[in-house]
Order: sequence, then structure tokens, then C-alpha cells
Amino acid sequence: MSEFRLEAVVNGRKIRRTAKPSQRLLDFLRDDLNLTGNKEGCGAGECGTCSVFVDGVLMKSCLLPVAKAQGARIDSIESLAPTGELTVLQKAFHKAGASQCGYCIPGMVMAATAALRANPFADREEIKERLGGNICRCTGYQKIFDAVELARDVQNGRLPATALLETDTTDGEVIGRNVRRIDAPGKVSGRLKYAGDMTMPGMLHVQVLRSPHPHARIVSIDTSAAEAMEGVEAVITSKDVPGQDGFGVFVHDQPVMARDKVRYVGEAVAAVAAEDLATARRALGAIKVVYAPLPAVFDPVEAMRVGAPVVHDYAPDNITKHIPIRVGDVDAGFAASDLVVEEHYSTQAIEHAYLEPEAGLAYVDHDDVVTVVSPSQNITHHRHMLARIVARPVSKVRFIMSPVGGGFGGKEDMIYQGMLALLAMKTMRPVRLVFTREESIVATAKRHPSRTTLRMGVMADGRIRAVSLRMICDGGAYGLSTEGVMRKAAILGAGPYVIPNLRVDTYGIYTNNTPSGAFRSFGALQTQFATESHLDIVAERLGLDPFEIRRINAMRDGASTHTRQTLGSVSLLRALDAAEQASGWEPGAPNVRGLARGDLGHDDVRPPVSLGTRFAPDSKQEAAE
Amino acid sequence: MLTCDEYITPVSLAEAFAAMARHQGRYRIVAGCTDTLPWAREGRAGDVAVPVLIDVARIPELNECQVGDGRVRLGAATPVQRFLDNPALGRAMPALPRCAVWFADDQIRAQATIGGNVVNASPAADVTPCLVAHDAIVELASRQGDKVHKRSVKLADFIVGPGQTKLRDGELVTGFDCDALPGFGGSFEKVGHRRSLVISVVCLAVAVRLDRDGSTVEDARLAIAGVCPVPRRLREIEERLRGQRLTGALLEQVADLPLDLVQSRSRQDYRRDVVRGFLVRGLIAAAKRAGASPEALPPALEAAYV
Ligand SMILES: Cc1cc2nc3c(=O)[nH]c(=O)nc-3n(C[C@H](O)[C@H](O)[C@H](O)COP(=O)(O)OP(=O)(O)OC[C@H]3O[C@@H](n4cnc5c(N)ncnc54)[C@H](O)[C@@H]3O)c2cc1C
Ligand code: FES
Ligand code: FES
Repeated sequence: MSEFRLEAVVNGRKIRRTAKPSQRLLDFLRDDLNLTGNKEGCGAGECGTCSVFVDGVLMKSCLLPVAKAQGARIDSIESLAPTGELTVLQKAFHKAGASQCGYCIPGMVMAATAALRANPFADREEIKERLGGNICRCTGYQKIFDAVELARDVQNGRLPATALLETDTTDGEVIGRNVRRIDAPGKVSGRLKYAGDMTMPGMLHVQVLRSPHPHARIVSIDTSAAEAMEGVEAVITSKDVPGQDGFGVFVHDQPVMARDKVRYVGEAVAAVAAEDLATARRALGAIKVVYAPLPAVFDPVEAMRVGAPVVHDYAPDNITKHIPIRVGDVDAGFAASDLVVEEHYSTQAIEHAYLEPEAGLAYVDHDDVVTVVSPSQNITHHRHMLARIVARPVSKVRFIMSPVGGGFGGKEDMIYQGMLALLAMKTMRPVRLVFTREESIVATAKRHPSRTTLRMGVMADGRIRAVSLRMICDGGAYGLSTEGVMRKAAILGAGPYVIPNLRVDTYGIYTNNTPSGAFRSFGALQTQFATESHLDIVAERLGLDPFEIRRINAMRDGASTHTRQTLGSVSLLRALDAAEQASGWEPGAPNVRGLARGDLGHDDVRPPVSLGTRFAPDSKQEAAE
Repeated sequence: MLTCDEYITPVSLAEAFAAMARHQGRYRIVAGCTDTLPWAREGRAGDVAVPVLIDVARIPELNECQVGDGRVRLGAATPVQRFLDNPALGRAMPALPRCAVWFADDQIRAQATIGGNVVNASPAADVTPCLVAHDAIVELASRQGDKVHKRSVKLADFIVGPGQTKLRDGELVTGFDCDALPGFGGSFEKVGHRRSLVISVVCLAVAVRLDRDGSTVEDARLAIAGVCPVPRRLREIEERLRGQRLTGALLEQVADLPLDLVQSRSRQDYRRDVVRGFLVRGLIAAAKRAGASPEALPPALEAAYV
């Protein structure tokens, strides 16, 4: 590989360095210059957290071969606040609460800087359009747009600079106030280090070999060729696990790397630690795995049938977890109802798509403590599981939680930390693994896809007499959080409504799909989607307003939940009032809407988005004609 | 991950051809790299090792744009952003600035080239149908012995299928020779899963010229993509419009022409509905920019489609 001499001006400083022809500008900035403020969220031009200025033009550094920077002036996020004094925009991001996990923020700040340079008077629509190349998974964007508008107004003198300052009270009162996030400056400046930004001297790079089969017996794994490669320090498989090989949030059914068989496409089979990333990737290709494909099952209902392929021997019926709830006599309740409605609901798998792909660093410290640094959402539990896996006392295992660049439940699973620990132990060197976006999507948990059958019996006045709810969820190949998700789905699924006769059954089922796991709301979404949709349908059938049917059945202060927890106070009625008001609700049964809607065309109704706000002069001209 | 042993950035056509000859059979051409880098990732081509990458984006001949009287010549390495930055270009090619705002985002647009868009030959490419509407001719060059051999092919013939063109081994696209359409109003309609950074499910380029009082269609150019394997000129519709008085009824009529356009494998009905709406809406927008008289385009028609 012919390295070449790169001359450029980076953040105002002239550099002359050797660069590799395969490097992208992003790699060069992060790996060679240690400018880790700009991140890699996708590596494919989609997310914009890598955005830097090239000769004053904002570009995605993950799409730029470094040779394109030859002779150019490059400015990364670090260029904005070189001495720590934040720019107006950065201060506005802080003031407006525009940063949450912060992983998108360096790119957002850069894009916002570019937007206000292009048009210092850009309105909100134009700001949206100009920030269109940047994804944020946390904020919902509104606070980011607020921040850019605030900065614009301060820069234009429409607002005083004090508008950027802390105005919130300092009397110690925080509840009900807007309090500035104390971690924001580190995020808007790009100085906060996520796991993938961290390096250690002598660090090795880890890559993971993943299963191409949904269900297959592993006949043999030959790692000798990979191990013989120059630059490869270690290769591990399940053979290298010294202790009890299993993890999971509830049942420990998942081995660190596939043991004897693979159960889904993307399951880890072996891992390599090498001197550099390219060598580690090449080494994966040298590992020979012989698989004997097994019949696979991809549908949870099929998986429940007798004779279906068995995913885990310990669960011959493929049931990960069944949660039943029984209250009263449901059949009698239906018999006594004026109206019984049954419907089917389904929800799909959803990827969390946190902007920070999984990353972690591990090392064995001077006291022989196996240390893992990663954005784990559950470090204490992981620590205990890992201690058993590596057969060391808990006091010799340490987890350090690095800043989480978005988790949403998806970083609760110890999906890669075990491999890092084993490789650190085997090589006695620091090791780091950074997932690609594709790897993150293939290998990690999703929201449980669900199918629900819901039957509800009501009286003519809207009171619920009986509900039966049966949900079958695709839990995928491993248990992860399925048990807890099924439990929450069952406990909360029938909603905050008084239901004298209730039967709930939620089932998490093993299949050969990507494992399902925790995701915001933890199961409540799936069942409540069914329940709330159903209430609308029932309201329509009864000619009732959807808010009304909910008020009629709402649990009130002192109510007992379906699982007999007494509730001191219940805010449902207040929430309904607030929602009704905020939505500009027109009272009436759902079927009086349709074309008769009167809420369209009002000031508070947003027009559909269309691009081209930058052509405003053109439309003004059109208006003038 | 795309890896290479050498990355060459020629600064003249001669240098480019020399590098191509030197590394015959071992190189790949890149310009903006915005198709090539994402292609070499998991799920698509995976890790790709190319011995030599030759980056043509800095070759001056490929960067020149000339707006002449009847013709526009665009260098192949013209970045899409230029249609927004160069007003003369925007006037001569009125659908292209509109296409540009819908193209990827502010950042990728500064890097992505029109030559890359054409050679990549995606059925969903946005710039290509615009160029088709301008009757673009692809200029190709290769070195044969010591001489540079040039040939030209109509863009509509150059793209033969998804990802397939008539580009020959050892050849470069140097530029595009296009009809200039000054005085036309232009529009570009596009829909995908979201607004920014989105691949077209359907896109439509429109350019319309009206008579002096803005009531009769003198000329119209339309091309569509996303619904068929290669971008397609809508000559039947152009014919029906030419010389006709501009009315809402006319636009709705041409949008109803029984064209068997939609050949996509998925969501055919949806795409048909979109095509119909786009035709009316795109023609209204283009006609307005061409100075359509308010009587010709009553507000009610606009309200129904725009
Ligand atoms: C996030 C994202 C969003 C995108 N959005 C859009 C969009 O909205 N609309 C759209 O149409 N496209 C979009 N694209 C695709 C891409 O940006 C365009 O197709 C772009 O025009 C490709 O040009 P390039 O110069 O970057 O291509 P490159 O990757 O450099 O090249 C593409 C192909 O063309 C060949 N090539 C390039 N120049 C020449 C030449 N002069 N002679 C011979 N061969 C040549 C290369 O060998 C290669 O095969 C998007 C891409 C990304 C990553
Ligand atoms: S756009 Fe470059 S990392 Fe996502
Ligand atoms: S704050 Fe934007 S992705 Fe988390």
C-alpha cells in the first residue's frame, strides 16, 4: 500500500503527514489527528455526525477519501471553540436544551453553522431544510431548531446576548423549571469522549465473525489461518470461555459467541484482535467455519406448534415466557355485555437506531481487574454476569459506563462486552470494538414484533365489562429482555381502565429471527396500541366520543390496578384533558370526522413539508407578478 | 469498506488516461465517491479491495460548464450544487435547481457529480431524467494509442438498464451537451420515504415555455424516473401539450393519458396515483414560473394539486 504525503490546513494549523490511500477524511481526523469531535454514525452519508468544512463547504467526511483533502482547508467541530469559549450557536444549543445524548450534536452544530453562514436570516423552514442531512434520534429536532433560531436572532441583534445566558433560577428549585443541562458544553464542543473515541497505548482492534445462517449446527471452526496472519494477536471462539457461558437480562441463554449452533443471522461466532482494523477484517475472512444448516422457524405462531424446530433445548415448546393475568370471570362478563368487539392488531420489529453504534474498550489492569468501558445501560448486572463468564470474582471485574450515545433500551444487552473481556485477557492488551451501523442493525435487539387478539365487552353507556387480550411476540433467537417485556406488556396492556373481568396472556416466543429486547416502553406499547385502538373502535360503535369512553372507564385516585397495586393518585383524567385541549379536539364519535374536519387550515396546523424554501425570492416575485 | 493500494488524482485528461493505461484492469474510476463508498459496505458489495482508484473530479475539462445560446455544455464532474450556485445555468436548465434542492442534502450535493449520477445508472437517479429532458448527449473519451478518441451517445440510449450503460472499458464520460431551455419554467417533483437524503420512489422533471401572454403552451419537456428501469421522456404528453391553450382541463387530460409507465415491481397503484398528481402539479408549477396567466391556472386547480 503506497502511503502518501498529505498537506492540508486542519483547524487553522498546517499539517504534513503520511496518509493511507484507503483512509477516509473521517478516519484521518479521528485516528491520526485524534480529532474525535466529529463522529461516525453510519459511514454511509446518511447521518451527518461526521460533517466538517472542506474549504468552507460543509461535507460528510465519511464519504471523502482523504486524498480529496489534499491542499484543502479542513475545519472540524474542534475549530469552533479552539480555546473553550463556545460560539453563539454552541451557547444557543446549550441554552435551548438541544443536546441529549449528544452524539449527533457535533454534526448538528456544524450544519447549523453552515446554515446561518449561507443565510443569516434563514427562517425555521429553511433551517430545517439545511439541516436535512443530519439525523438526531433523541431530541425530535424541535429544540435544535429552537437553538438555531435563538443563535440567528442573537447574531442579528434581534435578541441581546444575554438571551444565551443562564436565566433559570438559582434558588435550588428545579422541578417545573427549565434547567440547563450541565453536560451540554462538552457535547456541543465535541469534547465529550464516547467509547469509540477512546484509545489506549498498544490498543488492538476487534472484529467479529457473524453467522450467515438463521439456524445451523457448527460442525467445526478452524481459526489457525487467521491466527497465523501477521498483525493478528488473538482469535477467540466459545472454546475460550473459561466460566459459565451465558448472558441475558432474565434467562442467561445466550453464549458470548455461538456455542455448538447458531440461532440467527448475525450471531457472533468468533472474534479477532489485530493491530489494525483492516487486518482484523481480513482475518475474519480466514476463519473457516463449517455449518450444517438446520430447519429454522421465523414465525412465532408456527414456532408454538407441535413439531416446530426447537430453538433452545431447554424450551421444547419455544416459549421464552408466558405471563397470565386473571381477574373475575371473563366469560360471564362478555355474556353480560351489550356489545362485544373483537379485533386483531400487530406491530412490527423496530430498530432503536441510536446514533452511536455499539462500541467498547477493554483491558486487564495492573491489579488483574478485567475492565470493560462501554455505553452499557446496565453495568452492575453486566459486571455480575461477566464475572461468572470469565470465572473471576466480582471484585476482579469492572464495568465503566461511557457516555451513551442513545440507548432507548437497546444497550441493555451484554452483546459484545464478553468478547472484549476475553480478548483483553487473552492478549493482555487493551482491545477496542466499534460496530458499524450495519452490524448494529444486524446483531442487536429490536422491539418485539407483536400480534394481539383483543376482545372487549362493554355496556351501552360505555362501561367496560370484560376484556380478553392475547398477545404473541416474536422474541427472536435469545431471551434478552423478553421476560420483562412480556410482564410489562401484561401488567399495563389493558390500560388504566377499570375492568372487572380481565384475562391477559402475553407470550414471548423463540424463533430464528434477530433477538427482540428492551425498547422504550418495554412492552407496554404493543398491548396498549391494541387497547387504545380498540377503545376508539368501540367508541365509534357506541356513538361515543373517544375521550368520553376513556373518562367513563378511567381509573381514579385510590384505584387498584389489574395486578392489585393500589394507586394513591391517578393523573389520567388530567392527561386526557390536556391532550384534548392541545389537539384541538372536536367532540363527537370518531365517525363524525373524515371530510368534515374543521381543524385544517388553521394557524396551529402545520402545512405539509416541501423543499425549496431557499427559492423564497422566486415565490415573492411570483406573488408580485 | 473500500480499500485501495493507490489513490490517483489526475489534474488533466492526459494524466487520467496515462493512469488508466498504466493500471489497465486494476482501476476503478471515482468522482464524488458518493455512490462508490456506500456501495462498498456490508449488505451491498461488502469489503471491496480495488488496487487503484482514479479520481476524475479535479480534471479541469470535466469541471467546465458553458452556457451558450442554444446549448449548455456541462463537464461530467459538475457537482449538483452548481445548479443552485450558478444563476445562468439555472436559467438555461430550469428544472435542475429544483431537482438540486431535492437531491440528497446540502452537503452531499456539493460533492456528488452529474457524471457519477448518470454512470451509476440507478433507476431512481434524480439528475438523469432532467438531463434526458434536455436531450443531453453524453461525451465520451478514451485513449487509443497516442490519440484521444471521442464519441458521443444520446443519454437516452446511453443508459440501457439499472446500473448498465454503454460506457466502454477505458472510457471516461467527459461531459454532456444539452439543449438550453431559456425562457422555460421548470419544476421537479419527487417523493420518497422522507424529504432529505431520500431515494426517489417517483421523480418527474418538467420544463414548459408559454407564449407571450402566458396562455398557450409553446413547448414542453417532461421526463420521469423511479417507475421504470431507465428514465423516460414523456413525448406523448409533450405532443399533446404543444400549441394548446393552457387550461386546468388540459393538464388533467394529459395526466390521464393511458401511459403504461409504471413498471416497478412494488406499489404500482400508489406510484400510478403519484405520477398522475405529479404531472398536474409539476406542469402547474412549471407553467407558473413560465409566466402563466392567472386565468389559465385558476386558484382552485392549484389548491387541488399543489
Ligand atoms: C446519503 C446519500 C443520498 C443520496 N441522495 C441522492 C438523491 O437524492 N438523488 C440521487 O440521484 N442520488 C442520490 N445519491 C446518490 C449519489 O450521490 C449520486 O448518484 C451522485 O450523483 C453520484 O455521483 P458521484 O460523483 O459521487 O459518484 P461516484 O461514486 O464517484 O461514481 C459513481 C459511478 O460513476 C462512475 N463515474 C463517475 N464519474 C465518471 C466519469 N466521468 N466517467 C466514467 N465513469 C464515471 C464511477 O466509476 C462509479 O461507477 C445519494 C447518495 C447518498 C450517499
Ligand atoms: S454521514 Fe458520515 S457518519 Fe453518518
Ligand atoms: S442528541 Fe441527537 S442523537 Fe442523541
